[in-house]
Amino acid sequence: MSPAILLVLALGLGLAGWLAARARAWTFRRDSATGRIAALPNYHGWYVALWIVIPVLLFIGLWSIIAPQLVTQSVLAAPAASDLPSFGFQRNAILSEARSVAIGNSSGVFNPAAAALVEPYRDALAKFNLIGVLATLIIAFLTGVWAFLRIKPDFTARTRVERAVMAILLFASLVAILTTLGIVVSLVFETIRFFGMVSPLDFLFGTHWGPDPMSNPDNPDPSRYGAIPLFWGTIYIGAIIAMIVAIPLGLMSAIYLTQYANPRLRAWIKPALEILAGVPTVVYGYFAALTVAPAIRDAALAVGITNASSESALAAGLVMGVMIIPFVSSMADDSIAAVPQAMRDGSLAMGATTSETIRRVLVPAALPGIVAGIMLAISRAIGETMIVVMAAGAAANLTGNPLEAMTTVTFQIVAMLTGEGSFDHPATLSAFALGFVLFMVTLGLNFVALRVVKRFREAYE
Amino acid sequence: MVTVVHPNMEKADAKMSARDVSVYYGDKKAIDDVSIDIPTKYVTAFIGPSGCGKSTFLRSLNRMNDTIPSARVEGEITLDGEDIYRSKMDVVQLRARVGMVFQKPNPFPKSIYENVAYGPKIHGLASGKAELDEVVEKSLRRAGLWAEVSDRLDDSGTALSGGQQQRLCIARAIAVDPEVILMDEPCSALDPIATAKIEELIDELNGSYAIVIVTHSMQQAARVSQRTAFFHLGKIVEYGRTSDIFTNPLEERTKDYITGRYG
Amino acid sequence: MMAEHTVKAFDEDITRLRGLIAEMGGLAELSIQEAMESMVNGDESLAEGVIARDKKIDRLEAEVDKLAVRIIALRAPMADDLREVIAALKIAGVVERIGDYSKNIAKRVGKIEGRKHFEPLTLLPAMGDIATEMVHDVLTAYAARDPVLAREVIATDDKVDAFYNSIFRNVVSYMVENPATISSAAQILFIARNLERIGDHATNVAEMVHFAATGNYPPDEDR
Ligand SMILES: Nc1ncnc2c1ncn2[C@@H]1O[C@H](COP(=O)(O)OP(=O)(O)OP(=O)(O)O)[C@@H](O)[C@H]1O
Ligand SMILES: [Mg+2]
Repeated sequence: MSPAILLVLALGLGLAGWLAARARAWTFRRDSATGRIAALPNYHGWYVALWIVIPVLLFIGLWSIIAPQLVTQSVLAAPAASDLPSFGFQRNAILSEARSVAIGNSSGVFNPAAAALVEPYRDALAKFNLIGVLATLIIAFLTGVWAFLRIKPDFTARTRVERAVMAILLFASLVAILTTLGIVVSLVFETIRFFGMVSPLDFLFGTHWGPDPMSNPDNPDPSRYGAIPLFWGTIYIGAIIAMIVAIPLGLMSAIYLTQYANPRLRAWIKPALEILAGVPTVVYGYFAALTVAPAIRDAALAVGITNASSESALAAGLVMGVMIIPFVSSMADDSIAAVPQAMRDGSLAMGATTSETIRRVLVPAALPGIVAGIMLAISRAIGETMIVVMAAGAAANLTGNPLEAMTTVTFQIVAMLTGEGSFDHPATLSAFALGFVLFMVTLGLNFVALRVVKRFREAYE
Repeated sequence: MVTVVHPNMEKADAKMSARDVSVYYGDKKAIDDVSIDIPTKYVTAFIGPSGCGKSTFLRSLNRMNDTIPSARVEGEITLDGEDIYRSKMDVVQLRARVGMVFQKPNPFPKSIYENVAYGPKIHGLASGKAELDEVVEKSLRRAGLWAEVSDRLDDSGTALSGGQQQRLCIARAIAVDPEVILMDEPCSALDPIATAKIEELIDELNGSYAIVIVTHSMQQAARVSQRTAFFHLGKIVEYGRTSDIFTNPLEERTKDYITGRYG
Repeated sequence: MMAEHTVKAFDEDITRLRGLIAEMGGLAELSIQEAMESMVNGDESLAEGVIARDKKIDRLEAEVDKLAVRIIALRAPMADDLREVIAALKIAGVVERIGDYSKNIAKRVGKIEGRKHFEPLTLLPAMGDIATEMVHDVLTAYAARDPVLAREVIATDDKVDAFYNSIFRNVVSYMVENPATISSAAQILFIARNLERIGDHATNVAEMVHFAATGNYPPDEDR
């Protein structure tokens, strides 16, 4: 509750600062001989407002972290707290129960020890809330007045506001990057733990996968941690079968849309394709598992293949391919459309037909972009989880037969993490190693794809 | 208002003729009832202020306007007496006979050799590698580019300088041995030396091909052409010998335009 | 009057060029008048002035040449403008010649003896007036870009020629009758010849004016 109030307070103070500074800047402007000042009054307003809001927000951030601790401490200092259990689970339970009553989240207490603490808790909360509000006001006042005093007719508020805006934007983009880094670090951490138990060589080059979560965690059997069948399954489903479907279909639809479709049709089909990309993958999973896989099995049985399983790489791959079509086609579409019209005109003016122009000029010219699109699509496909979970099966087969069940890296990550092994069992930890490999591969693919796209852009601009 | 055609022009065989041609973009009329004969053995220049429809008319001569969905051509345009807009006309064949060079050099992102060989390949003009080599060399020589690129035919065409690229595009156009070459401001992106080379090349080609060139440079039109047509607001205001148009135009608007008094 | 050029400085150049021609023409016209006056009155100091003025006309011609070349180089004139500049270039040369003839007449002032009773001298002023008028008219035609007036000037040349022929006959017969004055009479012949040349040159200028204004030389029957 208190951070929300503080927030409103901060914004209100900011608004007040903004209005005050703006009004003051207007008077500069009115008084100046030329009617010109170094920055428009609005910028002076923003300058002061930023000087109020940013320090206050920083303070609120800090305060919302330390305030609860201060509250707890002061509650513990109260006489009623002296007969609490000295530490551990029970003590925390009592404290949090008292707290939730004090805040008003629950109405009564079960534990009489907690009941005694409700009152001190209320007092402490009220006290620190007051301190928070006062501190906020003081900070806002100090920084606001300081900023307000700085504004003068020749004060370059505009450039300063510009700098502040830049800093805010930088902060926003750093959040995303730091999050990614955090993910990598945590993955690496667990991966290293796993490789401490199973050698990376066994993991990366072993051909048998069958971790046993119930085995003795201190003495894992490295021969059960060979991830090659998983890698193969991933590549076979995501990069081979799915791509056999997605590349030709995606490319052809892109060519049709950019070169042949009239604008009205294009205005319908392109969004429709993009909707395909927005369908939740679990829906594709159902479709693969309930419709495509049985159909494939029946078809296989009909032609006399008796050992066809009801879960197959083919089913998962086909559906995944369909799912990936929009990725391939929209990248291909963009890069074909980015080939300058002059190139196309040049070819047509030579007497080439549209299809000759596409084959000999447009596609070669757009090839880097198309390749990049395919790579992004592959990285998307091999990271795809839901479809394979539902349709590909769990058996780590190392085979080229698309009718057999196969399993993939993503499937096994799910299986290991949700398995019954304890958290520090190597079978569970192997999920992190798998995730790490997957992450590195997709990162590599994306990296290469972006480089290729960049080169392509440079060529035409 | 009709076109003023100079009465003292010598009779010349018309390679292409336009009769009452109008071109529309959607509802907008960009070319309004234009009639003109393009002579076989001369260079014809189209001049006129920006937006007056020179490119539009030029593009209707090899049906490049077909590639713009909203464009529509009315009237009759003939090549050697055949209507090029008749339904049986093979557009692909037409464009092989009426080549085009664009304002901005647009070599394909392929090797120099492949750029020139492109046309002969799609039209099957050369049987075998040796013959193709010959066509490529001949076209590059005619375009005055051979000496500069003979030792790097496998380099990308886009790696050449602007002037070289434009000559490559001309080489590409003449490789299919067209009868008419349309050039839309071919020198607008080039320096004076490269421009001079292209002009020399046009002089060289003059006589073998009917050439139509759109240009914003009066000097260039005066230098390379024998016939000049002045376009204004979608019409041809005046058409005559270049020497007459530039020394003694009959129409006030032509005079104002070429003496720099336009608008 | 023609519309203005998009580039204003072009208009300024052309205006200046025309101004120089007009100035040259005015000086040349004045020179003919004064040369004839000094001739009739034997006013040698006036004759000196004519001779001195020729220098100035030469300087103006050089200036016209320079300006015309500059306009061609910098402005690349076309059509009317091109004709205008070329015509100016040629007219300047012709006017300079007219100045030379006036100087030539002025130089002969001291060579006529017994001026008071020298009959052939009385023939000259009328011819001089016609020549002066031609120069005056052609400059007016130039200033107004008036091809009609230019053609009138061309037509006047016949009168000057006729005058010359009649003076020639008269003077020759006078020479036969008065052998003592033969050298003065010969001077009169030269002067008449000079005036006839001035008429021819004025005709040339008129043709140029016609060309600049219309793009064509005047049809043959006028010449
Ligand atoms: N693709 C198009 N769609 C609609 N209108 C067009 C199109 N192309 C040209 N126009 C219009 O047609 C008119 C003639 O254009 P065009 O390109 O033929 O002029 P231009 O004489 O070649 O001009 P410039 O000298 O600037 O190249 C212009 O008014 C232009 O706006
Ligand atoms: Mg154009």
